[in-house]
Amino acid sequence: MPDKATVELIKRSLIYTAEEMGVALRRSAYSPNIRERADHSCAVLDSYGRTIGQAEHIPVHLGSLPVGLRNTLQYLEREEVELEEGDVVIVNDPYISGTHLNDITLIQPVFHRGELVAYAANKAHHSDVGGASPASISADADEIHQEGIVIPPTKLVRRGKTSREVLEMITRNVRMPSITLGDLHAQLAANTLGARNIAEIINRYGAKTFLEACSEILDQTEKAVRLEYERMPEGEYVGEDYLETISAREERPARIAVKVSISPKRIEMDFSGTEKQVKGPVNTVYGVTVAASMFAVRSILSHHVEVNDGFYRTVRVYAPEGCMLNACWPAAVSAGNVETSQRIVDAIYRALSHAVPDRIPAAAHGSMTNLMMGGVHPRTGERWAFYETIGGGYGGRLGKDGVDGIHVNMTNTLNTPIEVIELYYPVIFNTYSLRPDSMGHGEFRGGCGIERSFTALAEIDVTIVGERSRIAPWGLWGGTGAKPSEYLVQRGSGEVIRLSSKARTRLSPGDRLIIRTAGGGGYGEPRRRSRERVLRDLQYGLISREIAERVYGVEGYSVSTSSTTRAALST
Amino acid sequence: MSIRVAVDVGGTFTDLVAYDERSREFIVLKVSSTPEQPEVGVIRALEALLSKGVEAREISVFLHVGTVGANLFRGQLKLSLPRAALITTEGMRDVLEIGRQNRPELYNVFFERPDPLIPRNLRLEVAERIDAFGNIVKPINPNSLNNAIWEAGRYAVETVAICFLNSYRNPEHERLAREAVSRELGVYVCASYEVDREHREYERCSTTVVNAILMPVVSKYMEKLQQELRRLGVSAPIYVVSSSGGLLDVNEAVKRPVAAVESGPAAGVVGAAVLSRVLGLGQVLSFDMGGTTAKASAVVGHEPQVLTEIELGGKAHAGRLIKGSGYPVRTPAIDLAEVSAGGGTIIWMTQAGGLEVGPISAGASPGPACYGAGGKEPTITDANLIVGRLGEKLLDGGLMLRRDLAERALARVADGLGMDIAELAAASLRILNLHMARAVRLVSVERGLDPSRFAMIAFGGAGPMHVAELAEELNIPHIVIPSSPGLFSAYGLVFTDFRYDYVSSHLTVLDGDSHAELENAFRELESMVLQQLGEKGFKREAIILSRVVDMRYLGQGYELLVPAPSEITRAGLRKLTTAFHEKHEAMYGYSRPEEPVETTAIRVVAYVQTSKPKLVEHPPASAKPQSQALKERRQAFFGDSWLETPVYDRSRLQCGNVIEGPAIIEQYDSTTIIPIGWRAEIDKYLNIHIARGN
Repeated sequence: MPDKATVELIKRSLIYTAEEMGVALRRSAYSPNIRERADHSCAVLDSYGRTIGQAEHIPVHLGSLPVGLRNTLQYLEREEVELEEGDVVIVNDPYISGTHLNDITLIQPVFHRGELVAYAANKAHHSDVGGASPASISADADEIHQEGIVIPPTKLVRRGKTSREVLEMITRNVRMPSITLGDLHAQLAANTLGARNIAEIINRYGAKTFLEACSEILDQTEKAVRLEYERMPEGEYVGEDYLETISAREERPARIAVKVSISPKRIEMDFSGTEKQVKGPVNTVYGVTVAASMFAVRSILSHHVEVNDGFYRTVRVYAPEGCMLNACWPAAVSAGNVETSQRIVDAIYRALSHAVPDRIPAAAHGSMTNLMMGGVHPRTGERWAFYETIGGGYGGRLGKDGVDGIHVNMTNTLNTPIEVIELYYPVIFNTYSLRPDSMGHGEFRGGCGIERSFTALAEIDVTIVGERSRIAPWGLWGGTGAKPSEYLVQRGSGEVIRLSSKARTRLSPGDRLIIRTAGGGGYGEPRRRSRERVLRDLQYGLISREIAERVYGVEGYSVSTSSTTRAALST
Repeated sequence: MSIRVAVDVGGTFTDLVAYDERSREFIVLKVSSTPEQPEVGVIRALEALLSKGVEAREISVFLHVGTVGANLFRGQLKLSLPRAALITTEGMRDVLEIGRQNRPELYNVFFERPDPLIPRNLRLEVAERIDAFGNIVKPINPNSLNNAIWEAGRYAVETVAICFLNSYRNPEHERLAREAVSRELGVYVCASYEVDREHREYERCSTTVVNAILMPVVSKYMEKLQQELRRLGVSAPIYVVSSSGGLLDVNEAVKRPVAAVESGPAAGVVGAAVLSRVLGLGQVLSFDMGGTTAKASAVVGHEPQVLTEIELGGKAHAGRLIKGSGYPVRTPAIDLAEVSAGGGTIIWMTQAGGLEVGPISAGASPGPACYGAGGKEPTITDANLIVGRLGEKLLDGGLMLRRDLAERALARVADGLGMDIAELAAASLRILNLHMARAVRLVSVERGLDPSRFAMIAFGGAGPMHVAELAEELNIPHIVIPSSPGLFSAYGLVFTDFRYDYVSSHLTVLDGDSHAELENAFRELESMVLQQLGEKGFKREAIILSRVVDMRYLGQGYELLVPAPSEITRAGLRKLTTAFHEKHEAMYGYSRPEEPVETTAIRVVAYVQTSKPKLVEHPPASAKPQSQALKERRQAFFGDSWLETPVYDRSRLQCGNVIEGPAIIEQYDSTTIIPIGWRAEIDKYLNIHIARGN
C-alpha cells in the first residue's frame, strides 16, 4: 500500500495530465467549436477502465465519458480486438460512447514493460459529422442514420501508424473534411501527450504502486462524498418536468419523471414513468442520463470533490430500457444530448428542492439553444457549417439573484465572437444583449435571457434545437416562472414568422433571425424583494416600470434611464 | 547624474535599490508600504536614500513598478473605480457583461460572475456599423453619438471607453467618437484602436474599458509622484515597468496604463533575464518563492516569454487561470504561473483521510506555528524546521523559531494520518514540490519548452530552500542562487532595458510571393516605431528592433508567435514558415507542412538599451571554503534518512568554493539546500551554482 503522500502525488499528477491534454487539444484544434468554445473533455483511466483523473470542461461529458470508455473497452473485448502499444481507437457510436454522433472519442492505451496499464482518452464535439443537416444536430431526425456517420470502435492508429483508410472514410462523410482532419490531429496529439505523461508517472512509481494508488484515490473520493450524503435528509423525493416538443415534425410534449432516493451510502435516480422513446432527436442514450444525474448531484455537494470513479460509484442511475432516457438503437439522439440533458437536471432539481431547499435554485433557462447553420459561402464558393449555443438566465437562489445571460447546467461552452463569425460566414449581427423583463420574479429574481440576432447575407439553411418556448422555466417558493424563449424570422419584406423551438428553415439574403432565450425562474415571494434591488434593475433597464409597480409593488420612486435603455424597452 | 534608482512596491515592503554607475556600489533600503497611498512609501524610501548622503541631482533615472493599477482590480484596498461610460455599437452594450457567456465554476449553484466594470446604464449605444472587412455599412449617426455623449455627461463620468464592432479593421468611427467625446466632455477617453487592434470584440472591449478606468487613477498618481520628486530636487525622468518587463515613460504609462498592470510580478523575471545575460545562460526558468506563493516563468535568449492576453483580478485553479473569473486584457505580459506554495502554506488532512498541502496559507499573521505568533496550523516552514533544513535562528537571530510549537502543530495532522511528524513533514515537502513543478510545467512543457534544457534561477525568501528538489522533479540540471535572493527583483530593475511593444493586424494567407507584402508591412510599422521613439529622444543607433509574426494554419483559432528575420526575402519567408511548422510540432506534437499557413498580426518590439551592469568581480579562492564559513553541523532529513549536515555561512563563502551535498548554506534572508548528489560552486559574482555532481 503506497503512503499518503505518494497517493496524493499520483492523484495530482493524473489530474494535471488530463488538464494539460485539454490545453493541447484546444490550442491546436481547427474548428471554432473546440478552439473558441472548448467543447471537449480529457481523462486518464486505469487498466480496469476506471476514471482516475478528468479535466472539468463540459458537464455533459462528465459522467458519459467514463460510461463510453467502459462500453468501448467491453466492445473491444467482446470482438476480441487486442490493443497494442501505439494503437488509438476512435468511436462516436452514441450507443457505445455515450453522447451523440458529433462527439468523437479517441482512446489510447498506455503500456509499461509490455503490459497495458492505463488509458488516455479525450472526447471532442465536431462541428459536423455529416447527416441530413449542416452541423448534424437535427431538429427532426427520427433515426440515427439521419444524424451523421456512425463510427464503431475502430483502430485509427495501429502501432503508431495512422490509418489513411479510416481517415478517408470519415472525411468523405462530413461537410468540412479539412477541419475534421485538423481536429482529429489535435485529439491525437492530446492523447499522445497524455500517454507520455502517464508512462512517466508509472515509470517513476512502478505499475503496482500506481494501480494501488488509483484504488486509494477512488476510495478517498468515495468516502468524502458519503460524508456529504450523511448530512442530507434520507428519503425518497420525486420530481418531473417536460420537454415541450419532441421534433420539428411532431409537436407534442414528453414527460421526464424521476424518483431520487438519498441514503448515507448512495443516491439513486429512478427514471421509471418517463415517456417511452420517441420518433424524434430528443432521446438520450444512457450515458447522457448518467451525465445529467452526476452533474445534479455534484452541484449540490458543498465541498470540492474530485471527478473520478470514486464519485461515480456513489450514484446509481436506473432508466428503463426503451424509455426516452435510455433509448435503443436506432433511435435518433442528437438533441437529447443537448436539450433533454438539461431537462433531466431540471426534473432532478425539482425533486431535490424538497430534500435540500436551501441549495436548489429555481429553474434556469433550461436549454443550450443550439443554432446550426450552413450553406455555400458566396465569397469562396465553398460549403460551410457553423454551430453555436446561446446562454440565458440562471434561476434565482437563496440569497442571490440568478445570473444574467449565461450558460447553465449541462453546458459551459464559450460563445463564438461576433467578429470571428462575420469574418468567416455570410452574416451580420444586429444584437447580442440581455433581454429585459424575461426573468422570473421573486425575492431573488431569475437571470435575464439573451437576444441574439443577425441578418443573412446569403442563402442559409438554419436548424434550431431549443426549448422552453411553451413550457416556461419554473419559479420556486413563490417566485414566478420566467418568460419563454422565442425564435423569429423577420423576412426582408418585414413579415415576421414565429418558429417552433425545434425548427428548420431557410434564410434568404436580408432575412433576419432573432433568437430570444428564456430567463431563469424567480426564488421566493416577489413582494419580499428589497426596494433597492428593484430600483437598480429599473435603472439598468432590466425590468420595466410596469413590472416594478405591478409585481414588486414599488412606488414613489424616481429613476432615470438612458436613451439606450428606453429604446430597448420600447421594442 | 550617475545613480539609477529602482523602487519595487510590494504588499508589505517597498524596496529601493540605488546603483551608482561610477562607484559600482549598491544602496539598498526597505520601508513599510503604504497601500492606500503608495506614493507615500515611495517618497519615504527616497527620503531615506537622500538622508544617506545621496544628492538628489545625482539621480539619473527613477524606475518604478506600477502596482496602482493591479491593486485597483484586486479589490483589496477598497479603492473605488472612477465612474466610467462605454460607447459601443448599437445592440452590443451587453457584450461587456455577457463576456464569453460561460460561468467560472461548473458545479456550484451559487456561482457568480464578476460585476461588469461599467454598469448597464452607463453602457451607451450608437447607431453605426462596420463589417468584418472594414467597410462602413452604416455611417455613424451624429445624433445618436451626441445623445450618448450627453448621457455620459449627465452622469459626470471621469472617463469614457469607446469600442465599436470590427473597429480593428477600420477605426474611423472610433476616431470620430473619440474626438467628439474629447471636445464635448473634456474627460479621459480611450478608443479601442489605441490599445488593442485585434479581433474578438469582448476581449478588445474589456481591454479598452480597463485602460479607460485606469487612466485617471494612474495619471493622478504620476502627477503626485512627480510633484514630490520635484520637491525633493529630483529632476530624473520616471519610468514604469510594463507587464512585459520593459520600461515605459510617463506619457506612455498614463496613456496606456493597461500595459503596466501586472508589472509587479514581472520585475523578478526581468531580474532573472538580466542575470541570465550576465552569466551567458541561454535558457533559464525563474523561480520566485515567498511566504504565500511560488511563481515560475521562462526566459529564452535572455528574453522573458510574453503572453498576449491575461485576465485581471481573475481566480486561478492550481496555477491555471479560470476563464471568465476576471477581466481579460490584451496587452503583452510576462508568461508567469503562480501557485499557492510558500513558507506559510498550510498542511492539513481532508475529511476522507488524505494529506493535502495548501492552497490555504497562514499568511503573515499568524504565520507558521513555529513563529510563536499564535499560529496553530502546521505550515511548510514548520516542516522545514522539523526536518532540519531551517535552523532555529532566522534573520541573524532576529527571529527565533520554536521547534516545540512546530512539533505540536504537525502532530495534530500526523496523528490523524497515522504518521510520525518527520514523515509527515517530509511527505508534505514532496507534495508542495509537485504543486510548484506544476507552475513550472505550465510555463515550459505546455509551451513546448523542455525544462531539462534550462537552468533555474531561484530567489525570494523560500526559493533557494526548495529549488533543488524542484529541479530534481523536472530534470533541471543547473541551478543559480543570486547573491541577495530576497531583494533580487529590485536589483533586476536597475538594469532593465526600455521595451516598447507594437502590434498591427495582418490577416493574409501566405504563399511563395507573400514576402514583399510582409516586408512592406513590417517596414511601415518600423518606421512608425522609429519616428515615435525619435520623438521620445532616443538615438537610432541605441534602438534594437525585433520582428515577430503571429501565425497559424488556415482554419485554426490560436496563433503561435514566430520570430521573423530582419529582412523578409523569399528565402526568409521560407525560413519563417519552417520555423512555424517546427514550433507547432514542438508545442502540439504535430505539424502539417502541406497545409496553408496564415498570419494574423505582425509585431515589432523595440529595445533601447540602458547601460549594462558592471558588477564587481571577486578573485578566485580555494575550492575548499575557509574554515570560518562552516557554522555548525546539524541533523537534517534527506531522501529517507537523517544525515549529519554541514551548515555554511554564505557571507563567508568565496569565489571558487565548492560544497558537496548534503549541505545547507544560510544567509540573512534565505537558506539554500544542497541535496545529496548535488554540488555547489560559488562564481566570481558570488552567485551559487548548484549542479548534479559526478
